[in-house]
Amino acid sequence: MIFWEIAKRNIRLHFLRSTLAMLGIVIGVVAIASMGILGNSMVSMVSDSLSSVGDSVIVTPYAGGGGTHGLGGGTSAQNLKITDQQFQQIKRAVAPGVAIPVLSTSERMKVGVGKDDIVATVYGIDPQYLPDLNLKLISGSLNNGNSGCLVGSEFAKDNNIKVGSRISMGTDGSKGTLRVTGIIEERGMSFDVSTDNAVLATQDWFDNTYSRDDYDEVVVKVKSGQDTADVKTIIEKQLNKRDKIVSVIDSKATLATIYQTFGAITTFVTAIGGISMVVAGVSIFNIMMMSVNERVKEIGIMRSIGTQKKEVMSMFVYEAAIIGVIGSVVGGILSLVAGYGISALMLNSTKYLFTFATALSVAEGVGFGIVVCLACGLYPAWQAANLNPIDALRHE
Amino acid sequence: MTPDSDNQPVMLFRDVAKVYPLPAGDVRALDGVSFQVDRGEFISVMGPSGSGKSTLLNLMGCLDTPTEGDIYISGTRIGDMTDMELTALRRDRIGFIFQYFNLFPLLNIIENVTFPMMLKSQNAVDPERGKEVLRAVQLDEKLFTHTPTELSGGQQQRVAIARALINNPDILLCDEPTGNLDSKTGAGIMELMTDLNRKGTTIIMVTHDPHIAEYSRRTILIADGRIVS
Repeated sequence: MIFWEIAKRNIRLHFLRSTLAMLGIVIGVVAIASMGILGNSMVSMVSDSLSSVGDSVIVTPYAGGGGTHGLGGGTSAQNLKITDQQFQQIKRAVAPGVAIPVLSTSERMKVGVGKDDIVATVYGIDPQYLPDLNLKLISGSLNNGNSGCLVGSEFAKDNNIKVGSRISMGTDGSKGTLRVTGIIEERGMSFDVSTDNAVLATQDWFDNTYSRDDYDEVVVKVKSGQDTADVKTIIEKQLNKRDKIVSVIDSKATLATIYQTFGAITTFVTAIGGISMVVAGVSIFNIMMMSVNERVKEIGIMRSIGTQKKEVMSMFVYEAAIIGVIGSVVGGILSLVAGYGISALMLNSTKYLFTFATALSVAEGVGFGIVVCLACGLYPAWQAANLNPIDALRHE
Repeated sequence: MTPDSDNQPVMLFRDVAKVYPLPAGDVRALDGVSFQVDRGEFISVMGPSGSGKSTLLNLMGCLDTPTEGDIYISGTRIGDMTDMELTALRRDRIGFIFQYFNLFPLLNIIENVTFPMMLKSQNAVDPERGKEVLRAVQLDEKLFTHTPTELSGGQQQRVAIARALINNPDILLCDEPTGNLDSKTGAGIMELMTDLNRKGTTIIMVTHDPHIAEYSRRTILIADGRIVS
């Protein structure tokens, strides 16, 4: 194909100019693809840390219009509790799903002699429900007994706690001592119980220590065949018949909202990256117009000796395509490097890089780059093809 | 070319006029031009500046169509042809030779010469045919793979003639073929063209140089858009 050959040679002849045009496309593709990679990595990361609670419905006391209630904190007003009677109602309503009553408070504690007091969240959960919470241990066992407890991995790491370590609860050990029987694997963000920086004691220990007979929240784990949205509706119908007394959060719906939000953020930052592609496109258009203007006489000769309009057009389209394909492919490769760097820097993790979503982001960037180049090369090519051969021959 | 086309004039102009509409009024660049070119002729077209030579050349080369009258190339009327058909006619039946050689700087000599062949066949072509034509125009074989800028003016014009001949055209259309060459090189080119004409190539040459016109066997003199002799 002689016109393909001429396009290649013209790019070689104007190597610097063509390279600069390619650089624009490279930057555009890197901007789009790396933003896409970052967004996808963020979604994957959030998905990883939240997916374990996608089967939960969280019931907390209704705090009223202006009130607040924590999902795990114990600082809410004393009357914002779920009574045992309400818990039994929930339990019956959600069957065969499992309703797990959760008690929680903030407490001072000390780990080891001579150490400073620390403050952490303490949960009271009946050990029979621990398997339903799907907690994974990195050491020890779930069997924590009455004076035993589980601790989150971050809490254990920060305070140099191992299985068998003892934690003095309350100021000067006023609330007794708990022995660590297991360390829970990092769970990240969660709707039910945030264990990473917490102590999980038994419900009996919690009741005895704090004289409690009500609950801060109820975590409902749905069983297969149950839908979280349906369970949420049932609970609301049962408990909020007259007055709204509980708030019910469907973790799956919340997750969907979070994913949607992250998706919108990803689209937004990718669109910002797209601006650089538009700039690159303008540069390609400019270069192609220059190429046409420099070769008006050559086009005139070609047309006069029998070159069809479509053949002249193809020559310039090939030129734009070569710049677009090389620039986009190089950009695609560099966007992986950029995505790796940005993920490492912003997310402290690159484990979400080599996924289908990443490949899709790179493919989208490369594809967009090629399409932009071709689109920006079309008008100059059309203009070249439609030059009047007589005028073009006279051109100096 | 049809079987009958051998018996028809290679080119026939019948009452041809070309009018350019301008804001100041229509300009009749050619008016009532009629002539015929038979196979094997060597004709020069002469005339002062502004006489209509360039317009006539554009019409003869099928780069333009007449406002009035008819033009036939080997029996084919060009007035109603589409751009695509005119382009194909130029490619297959007309060979162009320009004053400034007009070779493609990105292509080497063989590629320049075989370019019209590639347009016609739409495929890769046998470079042997290009070499054969280049030998016919007496170009040194060592230059075949050079680029046009590495050749002298005379050598470039020989390449341009080879390119014009590659598709065996019915007519060789020359626009001041020696206008950019010194007299000795110009004479060499004219001898080559005379030799080609002797071998059967029909040549129409536009020139303002009476010495160059002497190489032709017939001269058409044009003034104010009309043929005067």
